[in-house]
Amino acid sequence: MILDSIDITQMLSLFAFNRDEPMLFTSGLFWILFLLFLPVYAFLKSRRKKMMLFVIAFSLYFFYKSSGIFFLLLVATSIFDWWVAQFIESSKNRTERRIALTVSLLFSLGILLYFKYGNFFMFNIEELIGGNFQPMDLIMPVGISFYTFRTISYVVDVYRGKIQPVDDYLDHLFFLSYFPCLVAGPIVRSCDFNPQVQANKPATREMIYGGLFLVMLGILKKAVFADYIAQYNNIAFGNPTGYTGFELLMAVLGFTMQIYCDFSGYSDMAIGLSSIMGYDLGINFNYPYRSLNVTEFWHRWHISLSTWLRDYVYIPLGGNRKGKVRQHFNLMVTMLLGGLWHGAAWTFVVWGAGHGIALCIHKLCKPWLDTIASTRFTRFVSWLLTFSFVAFLWIFFRANTFQAAGHIITNIVTDFEWAYVRVFLARRSTWCIMLAIIFGLHFVPVQIWNRLRERFIAAPWWLKLVIFIVLIQLVLQFASATVQPFLYSQF
Amino acid sequence: MNKPYWGLWGLLLTALIFFVVLSFWQDGIRIGSFELKTASFASDLGAPMKHHKVVKNTKADADGKSAEEQQAKDWRAPLDTTAKSILFIGDSMLEGLAPRLAKYCDKNGHTLVEVIWYSSSTKVWGESGRLAELIAKYKPNYIFICLGANELYVTDIKRARRHYVKKILAEVGDIPYVWIGPPNWDEDTGINDLIEQEVDEGCFYLSAHDQFERSRDGAHPTRTSAHLWMDRVVKWLGEKGAHPIRLGYPGEGTSRASHIVIYQPPK
Repeated sequence: MILDSIDITQMLSLFAFNRDEPMLFTSGLFWILFLLFLPVYAFLKSRRKKMMLFVIAFSLYFFYKSSGIFFLLLVATSIFDWWVAQFIESSKNRTERRIALTVSLLFSLGILLYFKYGNFFMFNIEELIGGNFQPMDLIMPVGISFYTFRTISYVVDVYRGKIQPVDDYLDHLFFLSYFPCLVAGPIVRSCDFNPQVQANKPATREMIYGGLFLVMLGILKKAVFADYIAQYNNIAFGNPTGYTGFELLMAVLGFTMQIYCDFSGYSDMAIGLSSIMGYDLGINFNYPYRSLNVTEFWHRWHISLSTWLRDYVYIPLGGNRKGKVRQHFNLMVTMLLGGLWHGAAWTFVVWGAGHGIALCIHKLCKPWLDTIASTRFTRFVSWLLTFSFVAFLWIFFRANTFQAAGHIITNIVTDFEWAYVRVFLARRSTWCIMLAIIFGLHFVPVQIWNRLRERFIAAPWWLKLVIFIVLIQLVLQFASATVQPFLYSQF
Repeated sequence: MNKPYWGLWGLLLTALIFFVVLSFWQDGIRIGSFELKTASFASDLGAPMKHHKVVKNTKADADGKSAEEQQAKDWRAPLDTTAKSILFIGDSMLEGLAPRLAKYCDKNGHTLVEVIWYSSSTKVWGESGRLAELIAKYKPNYIFICLGANELYVTDIKRARRHYVKKILAEVGDIPYVWIGPPNWDEDTGINDLIEQEVDEGCFYLSAHDQFERSRDGAHPTRTSAHLWMDRVVKWLGEKGAHPIRLGYPGEGTSRASHIVIYQPPK
């Protein structure tokens, strides 16, 4: 009877490209496909070439499902950059090598600029010179920012002589299309990844179940915490004039935690999946809200991006080798680009500029700050200042316009409305509890997380199954739970 | 395949089977007052997915009219000129809409009962069964619904809310109705699509693309803007609605419904 009710056409349509439903690690479809993928992968794992072909095919389908025909862009980029890297390695002429590198950068960045920033640039040019601009109907290939940065790091590292280019094109396509880090990173480097692929060591029990533990942690962060608290944040940021200062302050705190859970959760899933497959992608978020200053924050937040920006923008610009003024200029340029990388809008540029200025100020004040004794009180003040500043800048990151950001800041300062505190806590109690849990979990010592991970790995199979099922049920329960949008305390 | 891979595969497969089987209880599983939500596998696979809309056929019929025109003719009832007993239910948007509809009712001989449930949503109405109670109490022969504004940002809304929209429509039953969509102040996550998919042809007024002057909260239209909104709904009902009724223009201004019921926000 159940089989009678299955509509084959509808079922097949789930597997086709749908721009509104990109394949994410939190989707049921991905897990069904992964279930089919896993035994074949495990069977082929020891046969490196066949395993690579299989993973590439799966990765390209994964990319097709989210970006349609544009998966060919990734293939084209991989062919071109693999060839350029070969050419750079074989050429003895410095000018030729430079030209090859420049062409490769123009090619990769050109595609990224067109798809991600085309409308943004056109709109700004129109604002400057006037005109009648119609936005282009562009589908931005999912994860284009991530794989572009990965391919750039590969070619630049070959140019610098830091790594040897891979001889086999499949190795490069495998690296670039590797599905765990295709959509949202981490921006893994060829020098860290390819040696593991070459060695092709079998995945250990610790890697497989440790990976599952990370995936589950990521699902908890992304699909339970982030998606639930996002509901209220979306409402308040979408309509800031309708909310009091206190409500908006809670939305800012909410978004501060949401973006961490969202981003680091997805990273955890990617790193966990890769660990299941036997490859270590390192860590991408290291409890960033524990930071005591902005420099430390950038050592802990989206580590693969911040180190990429350091190695491929900041250091080539001169880093700290050309005097203080130049160092601060380099920092600002790096952070402005980092801001723009996150999205094609001036609000992201302001977010990046804010961090750039804070980094410069911290560097300037560091000699004086180092003289202050490290006590609990000073550490707390440092943490509070850093956290507040980071949260403040998230306003620009999240707000749709400067006007909306202005409303949020103004309302927080001028229209706080203490009377709303009690009503807010009563009406949105689940939201508040969840925010408190995320906050609390962020400060759980690393050793405890490690112990939990070890216990999970050692746990009997049935217990792992129960934990997994409970987690997925939690996702389902919270997926349909809603946060009250308006407080009608006036009635 | 090494042993840990077998273990992991077995674990994922068992969990998948568990959730696929549960998903055939599409309305969730009630354990006392607790509702165990289920996944959408069954509905994704095509298990009873009800769509009220008839699939449109573009082939022209013998007398030259397209099937679409023919269908339009079929589902549009003729103008009903009799006096109606109208029930208007919904969220806080009724504050602006209902007084204007009351003016139309005064002018055209209808009676209006207005039920505002602040902060309510399709979930709240669907779970409560309150619409059925109101129908039993006031015995309306026409219903206006305005719901969805409190659900603009609900994640996975089509899965999460479809059941409640269906429940509301089931409570409406055969009574002619119009569902007025929310006045979006930002892009929604699918509530308008969902309502449009579930209601009958000509029974949904999409407000999302209308222009509104907003009150201080940035969400609710001002009173004047809400009156114009109601005027547009009435005009649409006369021209494209499935069940047009006599709603001649009453001039400007508002009136008071014969009966007003207010419910406080759900806890």
